[in-house]
Amino acid sequence: MSWRVLRLEGVGKDFTRADGGVAEVLRDVTLTVERGAFFTLLGPSGCGKSTLLNIVAGFEGATTGGASLDDRPVAGPGTDRTVIFQDVSNALFPWMNARENVEFGPKMARLGAVERNERAEKYLRLVGLDADGGKFPFELSGGMKQRIQIARALANDPDILLMDEPFAALDAITKKHLQVEFRKIWSETGKTIFYITHDIFEALLLSTHLAVMTAGPKAGIKEVFQLDLEEPRSPSNPDFAAMYSRVETLIDEEVQRMRAR
Amino acid sequence: MVFWRTLSVAGALSLWWLSSGTLFNPILVPAPHKVAVHLWEMTADGEILFHAWASLRRVIVGYALGSVLGILTGVAVARIRIAEDMLEPPLQFVRNITPVAIIPLAVNAFGLEEPSKYFVIIYSTIIPVVFNTAAGVASTPQIRVRAAMCLGAGRWDIFVRVVLPSAWPFILTGLRVALGFAFMGVVAAEMIAAESGVGYLIMQSRNMLLPEQMFSGLFLLGLIGLVTDRAFQFTIGRLMRRYMLQTAAFD
Ligand SMILES: Nc1ncnc2c1ncn2[C@@H]1O[C@H](COP(=O)(O)OP(=O)(O)OP(=O)(O)O)[C@@H](O)[C@H]1O
Ligand SMILES: [Mg+2]
Repeated sequence: MSWRVLRLEGVGKDFTRADGGVAEVLRDVTLTVERGAFFTLLGPSGCGKSTLLNIVAGFEGATTGGASLDDRPVAGPGTDRTVIFQDVSNALFPWMNARENVEFGPKMARLGAVERNERAEKYLRLVGLDADGGKFPFELSGGMKQRIQIARALANDPDILLMDEPFAALDAITKKHLQVEFRKIWSETGKTIFYITHDIFEALLLSTHLAVMTAGPKAGIKEVFQLDLEEPRSPSNPDFAAMYSRVETLIDEEVQRMRAR
Repeated sequence: MVFWRTLSVAGALSLWWLSSGTLFNPILVPAPHKVAVHLWEMTADGEILFHAWASLRRVIVGYALGSVLGILTGVAVARIRIAEDMLEPPLQFVRNITPVAIIPLAVNAFGLEEPSKYFVIIYSTIIPVVFNTAAGVASTPQIRVRAAMCLGAGRWDIFVRVVLPSAWPFILTGLRVALGFAFMGVVAAEMIAAESGVGYLIMQSRNMLLPEQMFSGLFLLGLIGLVTDRAFQFTIGRLMRRYMLQTAAFD
């Protein structure tokens, strides 16, 4: 399935609230994500980042507009897009060991046992857990579980990884390691990444593109950046630091606006 | 601690022994050693085995049917809107009616033979199994289902490989509770209308003033319950261990 761009066009989303009212979450979100990009979404809490990701994943339909790969509209979940969830304990299958978790996608694709096993080994090695395939999720640390979830997604060979604050629940050290490793995995596999974070530092470290959202309700896109930062990226580089404060200012403006309401 | 456990058993036996002939009439509440002798005699002549097997056979049939029906109904209630609408109200109503109260109806409807016992056991089993199964199926984390969808699982695979495994700890809890209920149901049914079984043994001993036999029957009930519960736990531990990893609580 070859495609060039993931397009979000005029995406709006309303929810019916429990009290019967309407929550107007997203309004007219238009974005273009090139194949191979590491596209990160930043924005104030509750603005609708996860909602947008769920629309791309096909878990939720948009109220207006929609997502499409080239001109194929996203109509539901598909194996070309795999979500990596922050809540990894619930995302993994607790009754399967690490290898069985990774083999789940290939199994659903009806691959034979030999090929499934090869895939599992390959991706467990890629995330550095080839020695832990026999362990069950409860025996693994949060960081290891998140690696398993990444391996499980990659073993299915999707085009796009949709990641909703995947490292937010990890301690600072584990997080730093995973960020570095994941950037390597991204550049080796050439996957397109659609990434959500609250961490500006993480966003600048990883992304090729970055979009800042406005505060909800009726949230939209405030500004999109293409990041041509000096490599290796480091907060001590002047362009990194300048970009950091620019993005921080934008988000602060939105948070202020939200507070003012 | 072995010491405290032994002390507890010894203490209970001593209290029983002391109260027989003092607090209670020894003809109605015989001392433990008399019961032990009687129990031994009943075991030796096969009477115990006869009645125990009669009850157990009923439970096996009724519990198996009740469990299967309960799981299917529970799944339907949790997954199918129409099934929920149609089954939830009667189930919520009926769950308040204890199995013992159903026995006269069971006898009227299904007669004095085995079918009425099966009915009572199925009834006792099905209620906890349905409610636990429905709760388990409904509690499957949404993101786990979504993760499976992203990995290419269709509706059937999601149900069999994700929803059901997520629900197993609940279903097994229901099955375990139901096993206890099944024995309560069968004993009560046998006390009211039967020619065999542990419940019959106990009721007959009251009518015929055979207190040693009555105590033997009670002891037997405790023993059968304990053994079957342990056997249940052992089997689950062997066959379903990986599904219990998601919850620590299943000792
Ligand atoms: N199913 C729903 N029903 C009603 N409102 C919803 C629903 N899902 C999300 N919302 C609302 O939509 C808004 C956006 O939610 P969303 O989870 O997308 O925000 P977010 O940007 O991911 O926030 P965070 O950064 O805290 O994760 C919130 O105000 C939320 O209350
Ligand atoms: Mg979110």
